[in-house]
Amino acid sequence: MSTVEVEEIIDQSKNLENVVVGKIKELSAHPQADRLQVCQVDLGESTEQIVCGGSNLSKGMLVAVAKVGSRVKWHGQGDLVTLASVKIRGIESKGMIAASSEIALADLFPTNDEKEILDLTHFHFKVGQNLSNALDLNDIILDIDNKSINHRPDLWGQYGLARELAAIYRVKLNNYLVKDLPEYKSELKLKVDVEDKTKCFRYLSVALKNITVAPSPWWLKNKLKAVGIRSINNIVDITNYVMYELGQPMHAFDAQAVAGHHIFVKNAKKGDKFVTLDGVKRRLTEDCLMIADSEKYLAVAGVMGGQNSEINSATKDIILEVACFKASSIRKASQVIALRSESSSRFEKSLDPKLTELALQKAVELILNLNEEAYLASSVVDIDNNPFAKLTLEVPEDLINARFGQIIPTKDIKDILTRLQFGVDYKKKIFTIQVPSFRATKDISIPEDIVEEVARIYGYDNLTPSLPQVTLRQPILDVEHDTAKSVRFYLALSQGYNEVYTYPFTDMFWVEKLGLKASQHLKMTNTLTQDLAYLNLSLLPNLLAKAEENLRFFKNFKIFELERERAFLQMKGTLQNLQHLWQIDWTWEKIELGNSQVAFQLKNQGLILGTCGIFNDEMLADNKFKVKIAWWDFDFSTVLKYISQNKFYQSLAKFPSINRDLAILIDKNVLWEDLEKELKKVSPLLVKVEPFDVFTGSGIPEGKKSLAFHLEFKSADKTLESEDADNLLAEIKQLLNSKFSAILRQ
Amino acid sequence: MENKLKSLRNLIERELQEIKDSGKLEELKNKYLGRKGELNHILKGLKDLAAEEKPRLGKLANEVKEELAVLFDKSEKVWTSKGQAEDLDPSLPGIKNEVGTLHPSTLVQYEIESAFAQMGFAVYDGPQLESDYYNFTALNIPDDHPARDTQDTFWLEGNNLLRTHTSNLQVRMLQKYGAPFRGIFPGRVFRYESTDASHDHTFFQLEGLMVDKDINIGNLIATMKALLSAVFKREVDVRLRPGFFPFVEPAFEMDIKCLVCEGKGCSVCKQSGWVELMPCGMVHPKVLEAGNIDTKIYSGFAFGLGLTRMAMMKYRIDDIRLLESGDLRFLKQF
Repeated sequence: MSTVEVEEIIDQSKNLENVVVGKIKELSAHPQADRLQVCQVDLGESTEQIVCGGSNLSKGMLVAVAKVGSRVKWHGQGDLVTLASVKIRGIESKGMIAASSEIALADLFPTNDEKEILDLTHFHFKVGQNLSNALDLNDIILDIDNKSINHRPDLWGQYGLARELAAIYRVKLNNYLVKDLPEYKSELKLKVDVEDKTKCFRYLSVALKNITVAPSPWWLKNKLKAVGIRSINNIVDITNYVMYELGQPMHAFDAQAVAGHHIFVKNAKKGDKFVTLDGVKRRLTEDCLMIADSEKYLAVAGVMGGQNSEINSATKDIILEVACFKASSIRKASQVIALRSESSSRFEKSLDPKLTELALQKAVELILNLNEEAYLASSVVDIDNNPFAKLTLEVPEDLINARFGQIIPTKDIKDILTRLQFGVDYKKKIFTIQVPSFRATKDISIPEDIVEEVARIYGYDNLTPSLPQVTLRQPILDVEHDTAKSVRFYLALSQGYNEVYTYPFTDMFWVEKLGLKASQHLKMTNTLTQDLAYLNLSLLPNLLAKAEENLRFFKNFKIFELERERAFLQMKGTLQNLQHLWQIDWTWEKIELGNSQVAFQLKNQGLILGTCGIFNDEMLADNKFKVKIAWWDFDFSTVLKYISQNKFYQSLAKFPSINRDLAILIDKNVLWEDLEKELKKVSPLLVKVEPFDVFTGSGIPEGKKSLAFHLEFKSADKTLESEDADNLLAEIKQLLNSKFSAILRQ
Repeated sequence: MENKLKSLRNLIERELQEIKDSGKLEELKNKYLGRKGELNHILKGLKDLAAEEKPRLGKLANEVKEELAVLFDKSEKVWTSKGQAEDLDPSLPGIKNEVGTLHPSTLVQYEIESAFAQMGFAVYDGPQLESDYYNFTALNIPDDHPARDTQDTFWLEGNNLLRTHTSNLQVRMLQKYGAPFRGIFPGRVFRYESTDASHDHTFFQLEGLMVDKDINIGNLIATMKALLSAVFKREVDVRLRPGFFPFVEPAFEMDIKCLVCEGKGCSVCKQSGWVELMPCGMVHPKVLEAGNIDTKIYSGFAFGLGLTRMAMMKYRIDDIRLLESGDLRFLKQF
């Protein structure tokens, strides 16, 4: 709650509950099965009979026995199962002689043959003891979320975490135990040149001779296993071990591979290639800081070593590098070669250049411990370009109290900071704070950082919540947001539309079909897949894609508009409703669009607000139901310019109106709008002409349509007489006949 | 004329009682009430009446006309398909208007917005296509900052990008409106990552920002507790843990006491009793400075809420990809 997030607490011994060391006293062939043997196994307190199919069983062998009740993985696969006492082909078997994979120890004891059981004979363990104790596999492991320590370079090693815990729990922190470097023999002339001083803050290097590269001892393998690292050999393992303990990455070179024992720290040349330890050939740029000799590159600094100078079984002399590189440079290089390593992820956090000293000492100490013949063969070469000056912050006590929202006793603040190893001086309500070097590289830089330090240790739960006292200010109305909200509600709850969300990445298939050009779209620079490559220019392509997908399940639907029949007029109705809602008197201009049978542009004061139409039938590849797609789109930002808030009521009519209906037969091609225009010319008293029935087909002559409409006559200054209406109606009939050759229907 | 009208009414009444189908009804209606029907024929006689008789008979004529209209109407309800007065089967499904649906993210967004509006947080919108500056640099995330690694970014030409968080509006809004400021910014954000049931490259966040005099950590806790109680429509408990986000200092993760088990521990809260809900913190002085705010006078807090996650929690949606699937089988449920 004060520092990091513990993701998981792993009890190493948990998997080995009820697994003990056993000794095979006798073994005989199973009478019913060729491949099985019956063993009498000494478990200390008792001797049990166990049937086993292991290929390497022998009398006197020490084995791992999973007793009845323990949980194992059959043949190393599947879920854990609980062992029971069973009869195997008629012979009683109490427990299991385990292979390493069956008790989750395969990484410590790799096998080639799945029938090979775990042989513990060489450990000379006492029979009957619990295997986790015997193997020292009884640590509790705290798995900490990396993300929660991204800003804390000092917590990337176990000692740093111990220091933090000591501060939180008021426990005394022991010093990190390390021996002084022993005397060296000046046998190997080691030289280091740092060419780019801005990227290499510290470079410590030393040579060791007479190394015997061998498998690591059990304790070392075991420690590395606990943090999930595979054991390689006694040199590489030590560099990893120290990195986990202190958080300081380091690297060992085979001294023989370093020409003239002269190391250069310099930038790569663009286009150069280099094979890293993992066998991958990497293409370099000048952003990659390299460790090199006079002839070749040896390592990508802070990221990974090279195959050419790797420690191998023949290695006798090594050069140890413990350095500190600039965080951003390592991050950049690691991006360039697309490789993140345990090393680079630590350097990226801005390590303390001083940490190198302790790490070098510890590594040398451990190497000499594991290699009795080895000795230091050079002095330590130390190139120091540490840019971090001693950091002192002046923090007013008022700032701390103001950010807390309450008064924290001065002595509590002093105590917390001291526990965190800050130097604290307090005068005239100002704290003068010395930041320890391991916190001063990035993490702590401003007074607010000190507020956080005090607050997190003081405990956020100890703060008193209080609602803020605020100043009222004039409201700022967001017309766009409000309009978007009302349009959404309107379309969904009043017009029957379903709101759809689609990605911002446009469907290029539909872009092409709509006749839009890919080149007009904004293109992502870092996507490889086509479906994430272009940004929407229009919402239509994605909506069409969604419409097509939905046709599998729905015959009729409107996402913006999609209906099978009379879709266009329904859509037009919706748009007219919107027109009314927004109070915009736009015009409908017919336009030609290659993809649409009919299309209109909605214009206001010369600006295009939107477009609508019905697509050609071929737009859908498989259109067996003759689906019609009516579509519309608005440029919302343009619409916003014209939405009128000025909606005024119109006074109710003082005088009644007279209504008449007419039904006519008329040429099929006559457009309603033309007819309406002519009718309206007859008299200003004709205030409304509204069609209510249009049909063709049975009973209607070829080439004609039947059209029925209401007529409303009204005057603003008097009650119209029925004769007035009759006269106007006669005029209208006359006009229909002469202009449109219409025939009146009865 | 009076007699004519009355006998017409009686005649129609009789005939209406005898009719057996809707066709006949239509026929009768035309015969008597049509434009050339008998009623009109009688009414034409009105103009020939004496002036003193006109008002009385005119009134009567209208009464008869209305009475007949009602009679026809009644009969119509019985005989035409429109009417169901007598042959109604009430077990038939109701006739519903076709109603559309709003997207679940929209619904949750508006719900949260109204809770925040009650506390005086205005709602603001801003660009999704953003510059490196507002998305990162202005938020104290310089070019070489490792925090950039945790937000895989869709890049466009000219150092532009699709915003990785709604925090891009912090500095924009401070520059535009100054202090004091209280606002929320809901919207779509993008991360360049592969999709699965719980990750999508496009999702919704809601950023909040409050800047005023003497704003402190206690204010942040109290405000969030109040707002979240309004959002979840019940009293909630919150707690802060340390977090790290370069644009706030101190930075927190805010947890909410598990609403499912009330903090006792269940599968939803992974037995911890608490659910991680939102990152938040006190606005970093560099961010305030970028927004031209005087840090000697003003301080503030900011927070980020996963709108998509809230929608998924609310409707128990188990696959994030459904949200942008456009699949009406999904969308029509809301």
